[in-house]
Parts: sequence; C-alpha cells; structure tokens
Amino acid sequence: MSKNEPITQINAMAQAPEEEPKKQSGRGIEWFAENGIFVFTAVLIVAAAVFVNGFASLQNITDVFHRAAPIGIVAVGMTFVVISGNYLDLSVVAQVATAAVIMIAVSNEYGYIPAILAAMVAAVLYAIVNGVAVGYFKANAVIVTLSTTYIGLGLLRFFSGGSIFFGPPDGALAQFGAGKLGPIPYSAVVLVLMTIILAFILNRTNFGFTVRSFGVNERATRLGGTNTGLVIIGAFLVTSFSAMVAGFVLAAFSNTAVSAMSTGYDFQALAAIIVGGTSVFGGKGSVLRTLLGVIFVSVLSNVLVLLNISFGYQQMALGVLIALAVTVDALARRAGKK
Amino acid sequence: MSQQESIKLGAQDLTLWGKIKLTIARRTEGRGVALLSIILVIAALMEPLVFSAYQVTLGRIALIGLVALGLTVVILMGQLDLSVASTLAASGVILALIPDLTLGIIAALSFGLLVGVINAFGVAIIGINSFIWTLGMLFFLRGMALVLSDEAPVKLTNSDAGIAFGQPLIGPITPRILLFILVFIVIQLFVSRVKAGREFYAVGGNPQAAKDAGIPVKLRIFTGFMISGFVSALAGVINTLERTAADPIAGSTVLLASFAAAIIGGNYLKGGRGSIVGTLIGAAALGVMQVGLTISGVQVPVQQIFIGLVLLLAVTTDPNNLRAVLSSIRSARSSRVKVQESSSEPTKSTAS
Repeated sequence: MSKNEPITQINAMAQAPEEEPKKQSGRGIEWFAENGIFVFTAVLIVAAAVFVNGFASLQNITDVFHRAAPIGIVAVGMTFVVISGNYLDLSVVAQVATAAVIMIAVSNEYGYIPAILAAMVAAVLYAIVNGVAVGYFKANAVIVTLSTTYIGLGLLRFFSGGSIFFGPPDGALAQFGAGKLGPIPYSAVVLVLMTIILAFILNRTNFGFTVRSFGVNERATRLGGTNTGLVIIGAFLVTSFSAMVAGFVLAAFSNTAVSAMSTGYDFQALAAIIVGGTSVFGGKGSVLRTLLGVIFVSVLSNVLVLLNISFGYQQMALGVLIALAVTVDALARRAGKK
Repeated sequence: MSQQESIKLGAQDLTLWGKIKLTIARRTEGRGVALLSIILVIAALMEPLVFSAYQVTLGRIALIGLVALGLTVVILMGQLDLSVASTLAASGVILALIPDLTLGIIAALSFGLLVGVINAFGVAIIGINSFIWTLGMLFFLRGMALVLSDEAPVKLTNSDAGIAFGQPLIGPITPRILLFILVFIVIQLFVSRVKAGREFYAVGGNPQAAKDAGIPVKLRIFTGFMISGFVSALAGVINTLERTAADPIAGSTVLLASFAAAIIGGNYLKGGRGSIVGTLIGAAALGVMQVGLTISGVQVPVQQIFIGLVLLLAVTTDPNNLRAVLSSIRSARSSRVKVQESSSEPTKSTAS
C-alpha cells in the first residue's frame, strides 16, 4: 500500500497542480463549518468550568438543564421542518402554550389522560393546517405559521381568558417537574430521549430519508413518486408533537400555565438549530447537531447570567452568534463550489 | 418590420373588455381589493363609526402601513427583512437618548440606513439567506435597544416638540399620516417611474437574468434594504415623538402587522411581482378591520384570530399557489387514470 501512495499523489499533482492548495483551504473551512460546533461547545464548557465562578456547581448545572430542556425539545422537533427546506415553524410559540394550558386546565378537571389526548388533538390540528397550507398550497411556511400563531394564541387567550392556571402542588405533574435522576432533572432526560427517537426517525426510517431528500431537491423528490404534501404534513407533525411535549415539560417545571409562557421560543429554537450547523436551505443537518446547538446557547446564556451581563447583551450575543454561524456556512458552501 | 407591425396589430386587436381583462390579470392587488371592499361593506353596515372617526382609522392605517411600505421594496426583490421591528425600537431609543431633537432625528434616520447597509452586506456580499441574516439582526438590535435604554422606556427630553408633533396639521391630518402619504408617494414613484426602482422587479423575478442584463443586482439589494431600514427608523422616530417616550421593546406586533399588510396586498414572496399600492390596500384593509373590531368591543384575542385567518386566507389563495394545487390534483387524477388503464390492459391481453 505504502508503495502505491506516492504514485497516486503524483498523478493528482499532474492533473491539477495549481488547484491543490486552494482545495486544502476550502477543506479547512468546510471542516470548520461541519465540526466547529463540537469544538466550540467543548471549549465553552471547559472555559466556563475553569474561569466562571459558580458554573461547575451541581445546582447551576441542574439549572442549565432545566432551562435548556423545553427549548431543546422544541428545537430538535423543529429540525425536521428546517431540514425539509421550509425555514421554521413560528407557531411553536402558540403550540407550547396551548399544550401547557390544556395539560394543567384539563387535568385539574378530568385527569391526565383526557388532558394528554386533548393536547394531542390540538397538536394534530396545528400540523394539519400548517402542513396542508405549506405542502399542498405551496404557501410560504413563515407566513403560514405566522398566521396560525395569531389564530392559535387568539383562541387560547379567548378560551383561557388570559388567566394563569395552577396545578395541585402534590400532583403527579408537579412531582415529575421536580424529579431528578441524579443531578439531571427528568425534563432533560425527556430531551435526551426525544433526541434519540427523532435522530432514529430522521436517519433510519424511510420518512426521515424523504424529509432530507425533500430539503435537497423538492422537485426531484416529487418526480420520484413521493407524495410531498404528506411528507410536509409529517414534518410539521413531528414539530407539533415535540412542541406538545415541551409544553408538558414546561407546565410540569413551573406547575403553572399561561398563554404568554412560551414567548420567543420560535426564534430561540431556530437560533439553536442554526448554531448547531443545520442548513436553513434544507437537506443538511441533524438532530444531534441541534442538541449541541441548544447546549451551546444555554451554556452561553448561563455564563452571561453568572457574569452579571444584562439581558440586552445576551440578545446581542445571540444575534452575533447567528451571523457568525451562517457566515461560516456560506463561506464553506462557496469553498465547496470551487 | 413586418414582425413589429404584427405585434402592434395584435395589441390593437384587443377589445375594451380584453384590455380590462389583461390589466386585471397583470395587476396583483385583486385579492387585496376584494378583501378591502368586503371589510368596508361590513364596516359600513355594522359600525359606521369607523368612517365618521376617520382620524383614528387613518392613524391606524399609517401605523400599520409605514413599515410595510419599506418592507414591500425588499419583498419585491424576493428577500425578507425581519429586522424592521427591532430597527424601529432601536432608532426610537437613539432619538430619545440624544438631547438635541434635530440631531437625534438625523442620528436615528442614519442609523436606519446603517442597518440597511449591514443587512444588504450579509445578503449581497457574503451571500446569506436574507431571512436568517436579518433574524440575527433582529436579535442584535433588540438587545442593543435594551442595552442603550437600560431596559426601561426612555423619556424624550424635548417633550413639548413631541406633543406638538401629535397634533393635527391640516384638518384631521396628523404629521404621522402626512409622512405616511409622503413616503407612499415617493416609494410608489420610485418603484414605478424610476429605472433603478423598476429594476427591483427584475432582480426579484430572476436575479441571474437581471445580472446578465447588466443590472447591478448587488447595488439594488443595498438600495432596497436601505429603504427598508430608513422607513423603519422613520416609523421609530414618529412613534417616539408621538408618545414622547421610546419603548425598547416596541414593535413586536409591528413585524407581524407589516408582513400581513404586504401579503394581503398581493406581494409575491418569491419576488418580482407586487406593488406599493397593494401594500397600501392591505394596510387599509387591516387598519379598518382592527378599528372596526375595536369600536364594536371585540376582545383583542378575537381580533388576533381574525387577523390570523385573513393572513392564512391571503397566503393560501395566492393565484400561483392555487394553480399549484389544481395542477397537483390534475396530475393525481391523471396518474390514477393511467394506473387504471395499465391495470386494465393486462386483463385484455390475457383475455385475447
């Protein structure tokens, strides 16, 4: 083998002597775009543990998990819609709040099973309206989910009267919300489980393969005989169910529910997805990357809080982070084309 | 020569009805007009107060419409600008922080232009999807508004000027309405009469073709985002002056309302088709609806549901989308027929 190697190298040199160094630099930035998030997350966590007072305490780590779980569950689910090339699902804001309010309000009256069933009906309704409008009517996903956010939050506020719902302090939901597996709260366990299940669906099932191929080339997928409308509905269904689970987790954690409790989840989840390296052009990305993106963003905001940096600066940092992530992606894309 | 003549003849052959049909087919405002007429008729029947209190209605239309006008220019090029609402908030805070009013207005407006330049830089030079790049800008500017204002509303130093600004100038026309009309006329003339403005349509319709035809696509993207940033900053200045204070979290509803106005007005999100007049019609429809619902005592959540339904209706009844649905139904039917044919053929052959 070792004898053959120089020959192939020489052949390559003979074919394209000038392009070789360009390709090298291109590979560098591509590698960076692919794997940068792994390095950054590791560096950030180590640096935080060493330099930031109070980061490495058990209480703080539990706190990070608690905060990361609901937004993370939304983000891993929304990865499906993003990979299918439809930007995002803005209506997760309404969906998370709806699931949380239904969970507490209905379970107070009728018990947990009817509450879960009612929340599932709501999630399916959201997925069907979003999916049909985007998949069959070919409408822009941003505007469609924007309008379903309006409708959903309007309905929720109308029926709930904007009031706050409290669960019984010793109910099963509250116990689940306070429960821990070692230092890890149950909500984070749910996040990990969701990630594993969704990663399996995206990488190992026929449906997941179709979602990814749809993001790469919609037309080819359709001409290949796939019912693309159904695939889009499926992608929105995954997102809706994840938002529902996130709503349950959020309701369990605070044992209260109000229609305004999930404000900002839409763009925060998208930010985590982008930082994780999933391409917003569709086709490229993974659920695991989104999980890493969520961890990175949560740890960063936790560090900023510990350093007493105000919310405004945190938002600015998030903006810069998104810009950096997409710039690296765009540069890698350009390098790849050359 | 003969070819030219025949083309001319072809155009002259059109009857009056044919010409009207052609004009309607070319315009994009159809659905906006339909919605506005329905809303106007319902308002006239149910709540005539909407028209007698036209000062309120006009003010609402100007509030919704101003940002939407700038946004429309960006949408015409097939881009999105999510940062409009944050630009509004940040420029308002900048105005309130600078003691001298004139200097403050100049600073706030140039800040809007700067935001437009940064947005366009990301989209045109680095080559990033405008939706994501302006999303980053949305976060950054929102954070900046909070940092600058110390997370609390900032009172305008010269509050007398602000109060004077809120007073009607001519009849019921407040400076806000006047500025809205002015911006509308300027952008409308720019987009329909000026070469650079006409080129927005070309850039949105097919960027590659526009580039090949010698249109400076990147420069146009800069122009478009700068218009959008400037108009958003202007809206921020107007808001701050009228309320004599700047709210750092202002404008969360502005983003949604301005998008709704542009979409209802028939602007095609992939670019190339749409009009400033359409956006005005969309803003008018939304404004009249909101004022009408508010006057009739409808709760805010129900108003939200109405806006959401109208927006969903507007985006799903886009003629292009309907065509896509029809064609998919047709192709599904034809493929079913083919399947039936192919399944019936073998039985024939076996029979023979």
